[in-house]
Amino acid sequence: MRTMHWGMVIDLRRCIGCHACTVACQIENNLPLNERWNKVFTVGPEGEFPLVTSHFLPRPCMHCQDAPCVDGCPTGASQRRPDGIIIVDGERCIGCKFCMLVCPYGVRQFEVEKGIVQKCHLCYERLEQGEMPRCVETCQLKARYAGDLDDPGSEVAALIKQANARPLYPHLGTKPLVYYIFP
Amino acid sequence: MAGTTEVKKAACYFCHMNCGMLVHVEDGVVKKVTGDPEHPFNQGAQCPRGASAMDHLNHINRVNYPLKRVGERGSGNFKRVSWEEALEDIAARLKKYKAEYGAESIATAGGTNRTDDWARRRFFNLLGSPNVVHTSPVCWIPNFLVETAIYGWSAFDPEIMGSRCVVVWGHNPGASYLPEMRGLLEAREKNGTKIIVIDPRCSETAARADLWLPIRPGSDCALALAWLNVIINEELYDADFVENWTVGFEELRERVQEYTPEWAEAKTWVPAERIAMAARTYATSRPACIQWGVATDQLGRATSAVAQARAVLRAICGNLDVPGGDVMPGPHPTFITDVEMELNELLPEEQRAKQLGADRFKLSTWPGYKLLNEQLERVWGKGLPAEWMCEASPPVLWRAILTGKPYPVKALIVLADNPLSSYANSRLVYEALNKLDLLVVMDYWLTPTAALADYVLPAASWLERPVLTTTYGVSDWLIASERAVQPLYERKTDYDFWRALGIKMGQEEYWPWQTNEEAFQYRLEPLGYGLETYGDFVQGVRFDFAPREYYKYLEKGFATPSGKVELKSSILEKLGYDPLPHYVEPPFSPEATPELARDYPLILIAGGGFMPFYHSEHRQITRLRLLHPEPRVAINPELAQELAIKEGDWVWIETPKGKVKQRAKLTTAVPPGVVQAERGWWYPEKGAKDLFGVWESNINACLDDDPDTCDPACGSWCTRSVLCRIAKVEG
Repeated sequence: MRTMHWGMVIDLRRCIGCHACTVACQIENNLPLNERWNKVFTVGPEGEFPLVTSHFLPRPCMHCQDAPCVDGCPTGASQRRPDGIIIVDGERCIGCKFCMLVCPYGVRQFEVEKGIVQKCHLCYERLEQGEMPRCVETCQLKARYAGDLDDPGSEVAALIKQANARPLYPHLGTKPLVYYIFP
Repeated sequence: MAGTTEVKKAACYFCHMNCGMLVHVEDGVVKKVTGDPEHPFNQGAQCPRGASAMDHLNHINRVNYPLKRVGERGSGNFKRVSWEEALEDIAARLKKYKAEYGAESIATAGGTNRTDDWARRRFFNLLGSPNVVHTSPVCWIPNFLVETAIYGWSAFDPEIMGSRCVVVWGHNPGASYLPEMRGLLEAREKNGTKIIVIDPRCSETAARADLWLPIRPGSDCALALAWLNVIINEELYDADFVENWTVGFEELRERVQEYTPEWAEAKTWVPAERIAMAARTYATSRPACIQWGVATDQLGRATSAVAQARAVLRAICGNLDVPGGDVMPGPHPTFITDVEMELNELLPEEQRAKQLGADRFKLSTWPGYKLLNEQLERVWGKGLPAEWMCEASPPVLWRAILTGKPYPVKALIVLADNPLSSYANSRLVYEALNKLDLLVVMDYWLTPTAALADYVLPAASWLERPVLTTTYGVSDWLIASERAVQPLYERKTDYDFWRALGIKMGQEEYWPWQTNEEAFQYRLEPLGYGLETYGDFVQGVRFDFAPREYYKYLEKGFATPSGKVELKSSILEKLGYDPLPHYVEPPFSPEATPELARDYPLILIAGGGFMPFYHSEHRQITRLRLLHPEPRVAINPELAQELAIKEGDWVWIETPKGKVKQRAKLTTAVPPGVVQAERGWWYPEKGAKDLFGVWESNINACLDDDPDTCDPACGSWCTRSVLCRIAKVEG
């Protein structure tokens, strides 16, 4: 069987900053109430009234294919799966937080109770069962898409091509699998 | 049977949308709640509230048993009692008030769309009291009733997909109606639909508009009239429709001459040429629609004038009941709608005449209701529900409780409502609630209002009750959803409560349906699906959308006395109101009250929905509260600098009515002369004795509801244009 190459597209023209993805992710992954793998930031408003612009920026793990967190992990807890998803093996993590230091997107969370670092894993267990990640499923504005980046017929591949979706901070060179359509 | 897993098709009641939810239930315990992909609104999605449904169901602070106050009112001390004891005592006291002071001495206040309101009205009609209130004067009803007077139903079902131009007016679906916002953006992506947003601040929706008109708060009427001026003088209206299907056009033409875009520029702060350009865009992009927006229901005495001008705009531009336009659904033709469940015919004429506020707010009370329903029944076969559409005036009710005039009001049953936080002039509401002989509150929580109650009764939430979504029976579709589980603890549905209390009051013969499901099944039977139970209907049918028909007036005419759209409304005239569109300045503004503006120089917008909360709800859901822990007042950085206010500072917001504090949020989304405060704030984490901090940040404490400032037709008080001053909280 061909290996999937998972990726995500987030349409910032659509995102309305409702935080549904933040909350649904928290519930799906049974996170403590104050820990979030999927934060949404407000950008702006910029400019003087009434000439202002603003938008929202959801920020899951970017699943970098050249991932400093994986390279720098002293125990091998941070791993890149064959399908591209970056995961943390909780058994191996010693909570040294090095990955938090090197992640340029600030997506990693230290879970105080467990003493380990965790983060968005693109709901890989749901993907394996044919379901979409919870943040994709829950989005009222349909601003998020997940799919196979290698399949030119997939929604994500089409959006990347047609809407010129691109990673956040591509100049960092970490090759994220999460793409954004900027407003 | 052990180990059974079911997926129940429920509907979320955490806002108006009633999104479909799939509830995974194992052995009678809710395990997971996800969006229903088959539901037409949310299509599998959830908002943060819907996603956190289980937090609400199992929350440690839910009211689970009937509580009776012990000690002084406001002491916050309650003891658990049985339902039987509570209902027995409440019924005995209601009978006593009815015998001593008349049925009108008993009133009720309700909330938004979490309940079967027809059951409330049924109880009150049988009791004989016309004094039912909701926040109806400031939510949807003024627009609905004015439109109905002009063209015989509200055109509240805009067909956005198919429209060439959508005007989002005083409305921010980006923070309040997420599925609607998705539809708006999809329409633009697919069809190039133009989105015009009219809003004093750069809201989530305005930020995505093709054209945003940042008007002065409360000046909506001037903008609508200037649009009429441009569209009529430049002959951009639908001449055929105007000629064949309207009356009063020549008088309208004459009337709007004075309302030029230049005149409106001074009122709205929007340049005249921009006003004219927007009017041309709207009028020449047919079909177009103007969405309902709640802000235009909250402009005090200017409220119905705005609705009137906008109704006339829709009509002369030929958008009424056309595909892609402002569709008037009419009532569902077949199933038994709310009005048919209310038993309004049993309320005697002399009791109708006693409805508080009916002598002055005539469109939203029995006098207007009667005139409207005569026409509606003639044309549509059924009229509007009395719930929401025919109600006592809340500000008049509070004053009657306090003064005993025009007659004493002794008891209030509050259900799905928190008047201390949801009605203007909170101090007056507080005094009124304190003066009552009997205050009964049915709710999920001990709210600030419940803290004052004699009885607090435990309410079932949407996971514990079936939901029949019918838009109060004024739309041509319905969606049926089931309960996921039976009510936990001793919680009950509102229907169960009204029925049980009704039986205690001797109304037994009128409450034949033992459960919500039985009542719903009765209402659905005429649809002819032949299903035996309500549950079968939910599992097998669930949605019933009457075949969508357009241009219904070609066959039926409009449900007005002339059978046409009355640009000059005979019903408004008969009730004593100006029959033609006209300008009304909101009650508090630099123009209306210049002396007040000297001390209170800023314009306050006291409202606007924001995620993740709905109205005054959900502050106790921790995961939501952590996203938005404290109230925030939006202040332009320029103004903030002048007043030495920094981001995150506590800021006093003060009006002649009172002052409250919210945290400063510096943003250029509002202009320097305008601030926007959040509404609905109380602090569930503070004690009942302190009324959960309801005086700290509740912006309604700063608002006035003096009936003289309210809308003359519908009694709306003013929240969106209020004069205030702000200052940093010192120390």
